[in-house]
Amino acid sequence: MQYQSQAVAKPYFIAALGLFAGQILFGLIMGLQYVMGDFLFPEIPFNVARMVHTNLLIVWLLFGFMGAAYYMVPEESEREIHSPKLALALFWIFLIAGALTIVGYLAVPYATLAKITGNDLLPTMGREFLEQPTITKIGIVIVVLGFLFNITMTVLKGRKTVVSSVMLIGFWGLAIFFLFSFYNPENLVLDKYFWWWVVHLWVEGVWELILGSILAFVLIKVTGVDREVIEKWLYIIIAMTLITGIIGTGHHYYWIGAPEYWQVLGSIFSALEPIPFFMMAVFAFNMVNQRRREHPNKAATLWALGTAVMAFLGAGVWGFLHTLAPVNFYTHGSQITAAHGHMAFYGAYVMIVLCIISYSMPLMRGRAAANPPKAQVVEMWAFWVMTISMVFITLFLTGAGILQIWLQRMGDTPMSFMAGQDQIALFYWLREIAGVGFLIGLITYFISFFVGGEEQAS
Amino acid sequence: MQPSDNNSQECEGQSLAVIAEALYLSNLLLVPGLSFAVLLWLHLKHRKHESELAQSHLYETVKASLWVGVLLVVVNILIFLMGGYESANTWLVVIIYFTTVHSAFVLLGMLGLAKAMACKVWRYPLP
Ligand code: HEM
Ligand code: HEM
Ligand SMILES: [Fe+2]
Repeated sequence: MQYQSQAVAKPYFIAALGLFAGQILFGLIMGLQYVMGDFLFPEIPFNVARMVHTNLLIVWLLFGFMGAAYYMVPEESEREIHSPKLALALFWIFLIAGALTIVGYLAVPYATLAKITGNDLLPTMGREFLEQPTITKIGIVIVVLGFLFNITMTVLKGRKTVVSSVMLIGFWGLAIFFLFSFYNPENLVLDKYFWWWVVHLWVEGVWELILGSILAFVLIKVTGVDREVIEKWLYIIIAMTLITGIIGTGHHYYWIGAPEYWQVLGSIFSALEPIPFFMMAVFAFNMVNQRRREHPNKAATLWALGTAVMAFLGAGVWGFLHTLAPVNFYTHGSQITAAHGHMAFYGAYVMIVLCIISYSMPLMRGRAAANPPKAQVVEMWAFWVMTISMVFITLFLTGAGILQIWLQRMGDTPMSFMAGQDQIALFYWLREIAGVGFLIGLITYFISFFVGGEEQAS
Repeated sequence: MQPSDNNSQECEGQSLAVIAEALYLSNLLLVPGLSFAVLLWLHLKHRKHESELAQSHLYETVKASLWVGVLLVVVNILIFLMGGYESANTWLVVIIYFTTVHSAFVLLGMLGLAKAMACKVWRYPLP
């Protein structure tokens, strides 16, 4: 660790991993409720578990992104963070606000939560991924603005690099698009239209810039390839992201009541969205092939390559699978969507956060360059178990989706939703088993932090 | 794998090698058939090329493309002849089979392309 203040990333990463574990537990609860309808009813109804599962995901990824920024920016800017105290204060505010929100979801009915948090003053609740009470949303804005101030000041006062600029643009975009979560028009078409400005323009827009910058940072460190080469790639990747992703939002406008031209625009532009992910994968392999040093942190390199490959599969391939309007006509809102959502979120965002944790955590824990080889072996096992489990979750959900569409949406006598679900229970059982595999991988990952042994010199 | 000591990314036969991998990927992703025809023509034309890098990338991509032909096209015809597309199970198997096999070949092509760009030879893990 070159700068003292980089250490504020550590609590962010620890909190992220704790919440990740919570997310997976609620995923498994829901997976079981899919096949045993009254499991944990009425204590934890499905809709509540779903909210906890997805909100924990978003919140822990945000913790991870912010930790990544606090770790990377000092090294890129060649100076300490503007205010490490502010960073630590915001950490606690975010953690407490997040925890209270989750407790609120679990302790009282959602309608009661809306009432006691004053939702009727500024109604923003009740929409997927944006279920947080309005005061929590305001808290998120305050935390993100404080974070942006801190990081921007650090970047402005120090060395300016492409990596930190791209990251900064990504974070500013993240903050700006989140503001649309406060816009909640009565008209359902308008509501959905702008809802996607948060959801789609996050994951297929500004978050990709954050992803690209973290990936570039880790690759510079572990391969020793010239910064100029890596920056050139990064430029092209983010340009392609924005060119395809912004108008690509149209792939969510096919059936919500928006003008029909979106079926054409959305299909064409979103069909090109795999390009930046494709380039990221070629880029990562190319850099590792041209590396000029053998960095002792093999695990971080594995995560970097894994992110590039799995993001391409989850977002690129599984995204393309259902993105053309004539296909989406059948697949919309089916288990195909869930299959894609799981692999894309895991491959792009879960893995990049685990990648920067893998690279930076050993350094923040006082190791010379990397964890002892034994700990890395355990970590790499965790990588494979989690990743392969996620591949199977995706494949089983895809199978479920195909049958669901066949039974429920095709032919002369389509089945009702619930009758169709009964027919595909086998796939849901298999998904749940793969989910248990994922949990085992996650536990292995946690264990890797406690494995000792001789360190390797860099 | 060894760290490369020459940082210069250029070498004898590199552009042909990159073109070979690009055509292989294009055959899978953009212009099937036509891309393969061009690839095959390049391979035949440069069979005696002095650069081993170019030669091996051309040979490997032709070989892998033939496998793609067997595993994607021929299997599809067999399915059609055997069961037709009238049953749910056919669709189930076909979509999952094609998505996984196709993506696997694309990933291999990306590895090949990254190798070609780094002036390294690359064998597709196929017989
Ligand atoms: C890392 C990037 C990505 C992530 C994290 C992601 C995640 C998701 C999630 C969670 C949903 C479900 C939203 C809902 O609840 O309705 C979704 C929907 C969708 N995604 Fe992505 N996605 C990514 C990239 C892509 C790309 C590159 C494409 C296209 C090539 C794509 C195409 C789609 C489509 C068409 C839908 C709508 C599905 C439907 O109609 O039900 N996604 N995505
Ligand atoms: C490990 C076991 C997991 C299980 C059993 C599981 C299960 C589930 C279930 C049952 C749903 C609700 C689907 C519905 O509404 O019908 C869901 C939604 C979701 N999960 Fe998971 N999950 C797991 C892991 C993960 C992971 C690791 C991620 C992120 C990388 C994730 C991201 C999501 C997202 C984004 C959604 C919303 C999807 C959509 O709107 O289509 N889950 N999950
Ligand atoms: Fe989207």
